Order: sequence, then structure tokens, then C-alpha cells
Amino acid sequence: MQAKLTLGIESSCDETSAAVLRGGRELLSNVISTQIPVHQKFGGVVPEIASRKHIVNIMPVIDEAVRQAGVTLADIDQVAVTYGPGLVGALLVGVSAAKGLAFALDKPLIGVNHLEGHIFANFLAAPELEPPFMALVVSGGHTALVDVRDYNTFHLMGQTRDDAAGEAFDKIARVMGLPYPGGPRIDALAQEGQPTIDFPEALVGKGNYEFSFSGLKSAVLNYINSEKMKGHELNKKDIAASFQHAVIDVLVGKAFEAVKEAGRDTLVLAGGVAANSGLEARLRAEAARQHVKFYYPSKILCTDNAAMIACRGYYQAEAGHYSDLYLNAVPGLDLEER
Amino acid sequence: MSILAIDTATQVSSVAVASREKLAAELTLQARLTHSETLLPHIEQVLQMAGVEKAALDGIAVSIGPGSFTGLRIGLAAAKAMAYALAKPLVGVSTLAALAAHFPVPGVRIVAMLDAQKGNAYYEPFVWEQGALVSRQTAAVAPLADIIAACSQSTMPVVLTGDIVAKRVRDKMTLPAHVQVAPAQQLMPRAANVAMLGLARLERGEADNVMALEPCYIRRSEAEVLWEKRHPEAAPCN
Repeated sequence: MQAKLTLGIESSCDETSAAVLRGGRELLSNVISTQIPVHQKFGGVVPEIASRKHIVNIMPVIDEAVRQAGVTLADIDQVAVTYGPGLVGALLVGVSAAKGLAFALDKPLIGVNHLEGHIFANFLAAPELEPPFMALVVSGGHTALVDVRDYNTFHLMGQTRDDAAGEAFDKIARVMGLPYPGGPRIDALAQEGQPTIDFPEALVGKGNYEFSFSGLKSAVLNYINSEKMKGHELNKKDIAASFQHAVIDVLVGKAFEAVKEAGRDTLVLAGGVAANSGLEARLRAEAARQHVKFYYPSKILCTDNAAMIACRGYYQAEAGHYSDLYLNAVPGLDLEER
Repeated sequence: MSILAIDTATQVSSVAVASREKLAAELTLQARLTHSETLLPHIEQVLQMAGVEKAALDGIAVSIGPGSFTGLRIGLAAAKAMAYALAKPLVGVSTLAALAAHFPVPGVRIVAMLDAQKGNAYYEPFVWEQGALVSRQTAAVAPLADIIAACSQSTMPVVLTGDIVAKRVRDKMTLPAHVQVAPAQQLMPRAANVAMLGLARLERGEADNVMALEPCYIRRSEAEVLWEKRHPEAAPCN
């Protein structure tokens, strides 16, 4: 039997994307239409504008993905789509289009959790990677440690209690007057600065895999305000380096503790913040020191993309986890035990 | 020639299968269910009840607004995807025209109005002339009170239709004798009307671009309006 072709669709935030995957690993196309320039002047993603862009971009992106894959629509065996988490109006465009396609083509529909998709991006980046492994998920709205036992069994070690790491990055970037998206700007500044300021690290207790970044965020914002009050010029490079250092300390510490506790020999990094070069470098160094295999997706697979959704969808379908045509968008969808 | 028609512009969800000669099936609900959950199952059911294979359709008509931004996109995304996958022509139909099509009566000013929030309505006046709807002005947004005041001045009899009539006009405003409110079932956009207007477009050889068709929002997003207020030097983007 020919390996299945999965069409993936992603529209949870400010990227409209479609991809075609053969089997679980062979990526035939991954088309991404980004809206970052559109939202830049507003300092963040405007949900209504994002939804308006998605409805314009969705069909050309799907058409281009099928064309680039060198297949026809009739060859597609199943349709996978992100149904959460994300912006509800944005998600609904992808979900409605996916349902329309699945119905018209008489092909199964697979609703995919975007965060699980980020973990599965690693399978596309590393053909040799197989479960079990520990996954550190660091995205705009979520920070979590997931023990991936097999393709469809996940144990949630812990996740964010309040602000996710990505939110803290964006907020601090905004206060420092850096343009949206703030994460990569802070990462770039941090490379030029020194972690000279001691910001607090929360929930660092042993055996605690929950994350809390709201205290750190407040400490950095208070520091910036008090420097401004004193009339000091902000040393943005050192602030960025110190903040990033504090975040990375927590992430690296908990990730390797989780690897040890679960008895894993592999750690994978997933999510939009996986593109942070400081985080990747520290995890890589620590992994080498502890003789743990370390994987992270390429930059393009770290961003929101449909390839990872197709990949997650493929493995879900292998276990028979399909959706019906009643599938709805779930903006507050969390990572859960499976 | 048979057509599948969809209207999710308001709280009403309506799906129909029709040809020029007859309405084969229509499913119209105003039950506060989410369109995103029920639309595709309704489409599947209506086609089944009508006994029409989706591959045998000659086109897909969709109500493209004005209306609820999210509702419009749910209907349009599904319609575009189906038209693309089935390789059928797609025709967008004005939600206001679909409402006005309830009243094929000459000599009457038909004013279709949809809730635009904060006391405003999207509206468009029509008349029925020689077997077709004729728009008297392009769809616009205005305070409801101003639209009603203009209707009161009309020398023609007026019929008011659209969701805002049930919410803000019927039993809430005193209207002159020549201004009538449509009954409940004709205040809701219905896919049967979208189907007939869509068929008329198809027969004229008109079709919309499946790749590019957008809802008719009339209004820009609030974020854009606010941004321009704060940046008066910037030229408005179109």
C-alpha cells in the first residue's frame, strides 16, 4: 500500500499555512503565508485583522501546497487541521476550510492540538527520532514538559501556572520599545549583553515541573521603571541578557531534571520560542555534558506551520483518532494526558 | 441546474439545495448553536434529504455579508473549500439582497437591515421591478434611528426586514402606518433566497474567484480605525 498523503492546515494565529506530508516523515510541501508585517504597526497580533487575512490567504496557500507537492487534490488521503489553542476567529477559518475539503473529498478529518504539533515538528527535522523522549514545549502562550511515551501516549510533567515564557518575552520587549514580535529582538540583544542583573527565578524547587514567569516579568518591568525614574539610560542589552538568562536557567534546570526522573535519554525542544538561539545553545551544552541526545526543529519548523500539523495528524490517524464534521475550534485547548 | 446555498451571516444558520424550478430542501435554524459545529453536518443532511449528490451540483452560493464577521468567514471558508475541491463555480450573494428577496412585490420600498452593534445597522433599500430586485443605494452602515426616520419620510409603502428589526424595532418603536415590519420567518436570511439569487448570477455566467473572494464587511476592524485616529498623518490603507 502507498504511504498516506496528509494535507495539513494551520491558522491559529498570524500564519496561514498548508502542507502535504507523505507517510509520517516525508514532507512534500510546507507553504506559510505570514502576517507579521501587517500586525507590526499595532505592536501585536490584532485578532480581527488576522482572521481577515486568513480568509483571503487560505485557499491560495492550500492550492500552492498541493501544487508544490506535485500531487492532485484527489490524491490526498486525509485532512489534518489545528483546532486549538489559538485565536478563535483565526482557528475557525482553517477548521471550516478543512471540514469543507474533507466533506467534498470524502476523506477523513483529523483535529490536531497545535502544541502537540510543535512537538511533532521534531520528527520532520530528525528522521531517526523515535519516542520515548522528553519534550520541552516553549511557545507564545504555553510552557510545558511532556513525557512522550509513544506517538499517542503523553504524560504531562508540568506546565505554566500563569504567564508563559513567550508572553513574558513579548511584554518585556514592548516595554523596552522593541517592535513586534519581541522574542527574536530580545534574543538578538541578549547576545550582545551580559547577565549582570539578578532577576528572581520562580518555582525552582526539586521535583516541581510547573512554570511561573509572572514574577520574573514583574521584576524586569519594575527594574525598567525604576531605572527610568532615576533618569538612567536603559542598558537594553544587559536587561535582555539578564532576563533571558533567568528564563533559560529555569527551563534548562527543569527539563534535565524531568529527563532524569522519567528515565529518558533524549530531550526535544518544541514551540515558537525554540527559535531562541540562547535557549538552544544552553540546552545543547547541557545535553552534551549529561550525555543526553538533544533535538530541536529548524527555524522554519519552529514557527507556526502546517507540516507539523500534518505530521501530528498522520500519527493520530494511525491510532484511529479521527474527528467528525462537528469539529469546533477550541481557543483555550491545553496539553493533556493522552 | 442545482445549487447548494449557505447563509451564516447572522445567528440563523441556513442551508438549501435548489434549482430554478424548485426548492428541494432547506434547513434553517435559529437555535444559538455555533455555526462552526453544525454547518457541515447540515450541508451533508440537506444534500441527502434533497437526494442530490455533491458531485452533481452546478455551483455553490454563499451569503457574503454584511453580517457577523466570524459567521461570514465560517460560511465562506467552507464554501470556498467545497467549490475548490468539487471544482464548481462559487457565487457570493449579498445577505441584504437575500433578505429583500422575501418580498417580490412591486411598488414597495424593501429596507433590509442587519445589526451592526451600538445602535447601528448595515442597511440597503431595494425595490422589486420587472421580476428582479433593484438596489436603490449601495449597502452602508448608519444609526438605526436615522434609517427609520428616512423610512418614515418615504412616499412609498415600506417593509422592514432583518435581524435588527426583531431586536430593536418590532414592539419597541412606533412606526407610521405605511412602514410595516415583516413577520418573524421573513426577518431571517434564508438559504433558499441565497440559492435563487446565486442561480440568477450563475445563469448570467457570473462566478466569483474561489481563491480571492472576501466577505463584504462594510466596516474596517476597530484596531485599524483606532490606529488611524492616533496617526492622522498616515494615509488610510485600502
